[in-house]
Amino acid sequence: MAGQYATLVRDDRVHGSLYTDPTIFAEEMDRIFRRGWVFLGHESEIAAPGDWVTRSIGLESVIMVRDRDGAIRVLANRCAHRGNRLCWKERGHDSRFQCIYHGWTFGLDGSLRAVSHKAGFDPARGDMPLDRAGQVDSHRGFIFANMSGDAGPLADHLGAGGRALIDRLCDLSPSGRIHFGAGWIGHRVESNWKMWPESDSDGYHLDFVHASMLRAVPDNYYDETVIGGESKNVSRAIDHGGGVNELDLRPSYRRELAWLGTSRDKVASYCAALEARHGKERADRLLWDGPPHGFIFPNLFLGEGNVARVDPVDVGAVLHVHTALQLEGVDPALNRRLVRQSEAGLGPASFIVPDDAIIAERMQLGFQGLKPPLNESDNGPGWVDLSRGRARESHEADGTRVGHVSDETTNRSFWRHYRHVMESRA
Amino acid sequence: MTPLPEQLRREIEDFLYLEARLADESRYDEWEALVADDMQYWVPRGRADYDPADRLSYINDNRARLATRIRQLKTGLRHAQTPPSPMRRVVSNIEILAVDHEAGVYTVGSNFVLYELAVQAGTSLRVWPGRVTHRLRRVEGELRMARKVVELVTAEAPQWNMAFLI
Repeated sequence: MAGQYATLVRDDRVHGSLYTDPTIFAEEMDRIFRRGWVFLGHESEIAAPGDWVTRSIGLESVIMVRDRDGAIRVLANRCAHRGNRLCWKERGHDSRFQCIYHGWTFGLDGSLRAVSHKAGFDPARGDMPLDRAGQVDSHRGFIFANMSGDAGPLADHLGAGGRALIDRLCDLSPSGRIHFGAGWIGHRVESNWKMWPESDSDGYHLDFVHASMLRAVPDNYYDETVIGGESKNVSRAIDHGGGVNELDLRPSYRRELAWLGTSRDKVASYCAALEARHGKERADRLLWDGPPHGFIFPNLFLGEGNVARVDPVDVGAVLHVHTALQLEGVDPALNRRLVRQSEAGLGPASFIVPDDAIIAERMQLGFQGLKPPLNESDNGPGWVDLSRGRARESHEADGTRVGHVSDETTNRSFWRHYRHVMESRA
Repeated sequence: MTPLPEQLRREIEDFLYLEARLADESRYDEWEALVADDMQYWVPRGRADYDPADRLSYINDNRARLATRIRQLKTGLRHAQTPPSPMRRVVSNIEILAVDHEAGVYTVGSNFVLYELAVQAGTSLRVWPGRVTHRLRRVEGELRMARKVVELVTAEAPQWNMAFLI
């Protein structure tokens, strides 16, 4: 008999109760967010020892901190004594974490350093460190953590496809390094979190959901990359496997630097610096291709000039939290342009994502009250059809699947991996 | 600061109330008519104590981007405001913070509480409290907005859709 998630997640459709069932949500927080790799942030946010930021892994608050030895630690934001929250700001710099409830003090590595009035402390309790992520690793400065510690290597989680997406983003910097200095903007949406890996990687909705943006902003590169009908548009939807997917807009760009809305003469020093690092051929390619549009399971969106996290709040609420791509070692005017672009695209008052948010919220309303199917032959109401392009997508030798940009190849990529994770970690 | 003529104070207050009512009623063209050619419309992420050139804001519109914002709302296809949210804001605690009579420029602080009924997906009453700092300039005899800075009480927290004129 098929498992519960194989009943809910078919190859060509998924059931609406996946977005509304609180039991499923609780299982996702454990199997996906606690027992798998989750994107947290960037090394540039905690550059110096003692720098810390607070983040979420599923519903759990964590402290991402740079230890004295330069290592990055991810600690539960919860005193090991009685559970009081240690850090209640977004960021800070400390040499230790002291709980204000009873004064227990923890090192940057989470170890218990001091207990107040220690005569009454039972030495047999031994060390009482903060709970911490079993695995912390990074790729090109992107930090990921896994609380359970048994999720396998990060490189395997990202796969060649995921690593290549992050590499393409970072290679746009003349130093090979980017930073997250533009800060994060949080957008709260009353939808299930899975609407966002779906929406962020959906190449089929642009000319409908974003019609107002396309009309109001006449000179935007979406006209050539994702609009224009099936026959004219040559962008691709790619499933790299492992829940990593991509809308490959590169084939559609008709000029270099279209993604930045500028031309070579206006950013000459940047182009020269890129060429100095990569050589002319690769630099020309990068200037043409721009940043990727991809999603890495379960919560990292590389949205061209934006990087976003998907933070679940509860079964019917989510935060879409983004920052702007910032390149190290370029003219500040270029990074300022990227900030302006980011404000136009993502965030609660931007020209694009608020319209996606409304669609997600309307879908969430539509899935209320649905009963999950009983078994594989139960074809009751409330399915989401994700079959588009199945018949025409190609299966490459390396396992990737490639469809037209408007095909639901990317959504099937997310759900196939979701089903695998939910079944294998049952 | 020398006392402000009562008539001028009244004119400034009337302007703030008119601006608030046109925004509440999503009367985009009439609201835009109150805008000066060099308008900056800034809703910072947190307090207005940083350079918005270098860090993300909820909104940091120059005049051209503000025109785009209004053009988008007027397409009738801006789903995040289809239909427009019914809104009412209470404007209070108006203070004239700085006056340049020669240039005809007045800096005005006020508090507001905006009630929005988000009706685009379900029906939710949302409350948006904050403080506005207006820079008003007299253009051909009429007051116009050269700058509107909206510091939300909730500016550090995640925000719901903010696709209306705040």
